[in-house]
Amino acid sequence: MSSMVKTQPGAAPAKVGRRRLDRRRQHFWAVAFLAPALVSLLVLRLLPTLDAVVASTYKAFPGGLVAATFTGLGNYQDLFGSEAFVDTLQRTLWFNLVINPLQIGLALLIAVLLVQRVRLTGLWKTLIFVPVTIPIVGSCIAWSAALQPEGPVNAIIAALGGSPQPFFNSPSQAIWSIILVASWIGIGYWMLFLIAGLQDVPSELYEAARIDRAGPIRTFFLITLPLMKRPILFVLVADTVANFVLFVPVQLITKGGPESSTTLLMFDAYRVTFGYGSRNLGAAEVVILTFIMLFFVFLQFRLLREEKNQA
Amino acid sequence: MSTVESVPLSEVTSGRAAGSTGQRRGRNTSLIRTVLAAVIAAAFIIPAAWILINSFRPNQEILSSLTPLSWGLIIPSRLTLENYTGLLFEGGFSRALLNSLIVAVFSVLFGLIVSTLAAYALAVFSFPGRNAVFAVVVISFMVPFEAIAIPLSQQFTDWGLGNTLIGLILPGIGNGLAIFNLRQHFLGIPSSYREAAMLDGASEPRIVASVYVPMSSAALMNSALLIFLGQWTAYLWPLLLVTENELQVAPIALALTFGERSADYGQNFAGSILLSLLPALVLLVLQRFFGRVSISSGEK
Repeated sequence: MSSMVKTQPGAAPAKVGRRRLDRRRQHFWAVAFLAPALVSLLVLRLLPTLDAVVASTYKAFPGGLVAATFTGLGNYQDLFGSEAFVDTLQRTLWFNLVINPLQIGLALLIAVLLVQRVRLTGLWKTLIFVPVTIPIVGSCIAWSAALQPEGPVNAIIAALGGSPQPFFNSPSQAIWSIILVASWIGIGYWMLFLIAGLQDVPSELYEAARIDRAGPIRTFFLITLPLMKRPILFVLVADTVANFVLFVPVQLITKGGPESSTTLLMFDAYRVTFGYGSRNLGAAEVVILTFIMLFFVFLQFRLLREEKNQA
Repeated sequence: MSTVESVPLSEVTSGRAAGSTGQRRGRNTSLIRTVLAAVIAAAFIIPAAWILINSFRPNQEILSSLTPLSWGLIIPSRLTLENYTGLLFEGGFSRALLNSLIVAVFSVLFGLIVSTLAAYALAVFSFPGRNAVFAVVVISFMVPFEAIAIPLSQQFTDWGLGNTLIGLILPGIGNGLAIFNLRQHFLGIPSSYREAAMLDGASEPRIVASVYVPMSSAALMNSALLIFLGQWTAYLWPLLLVTENELQVAPIALALTFGERSADYGQNFAGSILLSLLPALVLLVLQRFFGRVSISSGEK
């Protein structure tokens, strides 16, 4: 703008007019450029959310012969009054409280290891990353074969003298088996982000720690962890967002069982809507899930912005 | 693979350690760390290698090789391409691969246009409520699409978009992180470039296309990657939207071979490998840069 003003020295009224014109022109282009994003936002995000909110306040009868009736918060009352749904919600929260710190903790340990003096770092990094590139459908099929009662994992356990485990077939082990599969897929992905963060930590600090004869554990807690707070938090929240909608292993391998032990909220919303045909109850579950998501995404956005401001 | 640069680096740093005892200790801990890294890497690569081996193994041998533990688990009696040929030429898998490719490519194309224009408007223009618009756009698009996929699929079906490629492409075009990254990158481009172009009489669309886009290849590549991966691996959305076999995308076709003919592990494994090739190629080449840009923004 300043160079434009320079071309018109002294002409004060023209300058004001030009600036107003410039602002109007900017507004025009701002609207034009934002329109595709805003329209898709409206159609792809807001409308379905509104649709779910509205649908969740109605009660329909199976068969669709009788018109749906307005019930207000009735569906939500039904959901929270149902032991099965409260279990599903608690299970989903428990699952996320376990899997996210576990994945990020392991990814961080591996990342810290790989930024040290290690031979062939690039090779190890690449190998750990390979599962990320396999489509999750393929990984789930392979792991369901590997963890079946007569599968290779049990063969290895037997060869080591242990007794075979039921894995996906046991109410107590199925969810852990899903955690295993999801972590095998996810850890390499989050590791990359953490390695990028670790490489931004100034090497002089590690140099100073070495001169002070600080051991690796003290160095980790005094330097790495405090300086990595934001990247770790960001990755943790992003992982949480992804795991709240984890769907493929549940739908493909366990179908929510055995004994509902792997029924997570996303799968339940899907099954209630399409399997049981309760569109309105499913909509209420979608609304609950979206609210939980919004909270974490908002957190993620805050962390992203702080990250930038600091940089 | 990016193995080359790590070796000289480790030598440089170990050479810097002062004194011979320090050097020896450094070498020992370096060895321990290397062994540890190799063990961890093995845990990740062995199941993947097993998928690869099984994809070249005669199908009837896969189940019999599972137990008891023997060398047969990792060494097939013979190598064969029959899983691949069966999958590609007998079933509809090649059609599904093509569908996936079309959906991913057009999503990237439209997604980049939408994200670039929005990011440019949010980075360059000043207008009232700009920050609020930015926050709303990015946060809404960051909510995983899966969360509202169920009601959206019902709407798409009502609008006649069920069983269409457009219906598969549309949800992929809005990506919050893509818009965020691009805006962040555009903010770093000095405004003097834009002013100079304006003096030359360039319109805003022209400035975007011939000034900002050429200066943003890294950020654009990163955004393209995010959109591509999202669509290439999409499962829930095509499951909800598409019922016709002709239009099915590859991950669904892969899952169907699992459900209908659960004995056909050979084709499952071959399909997994086929679907991995493209992301593996793209990601392994761009691996360093992928983690970087997403988290620590557009600064060079």
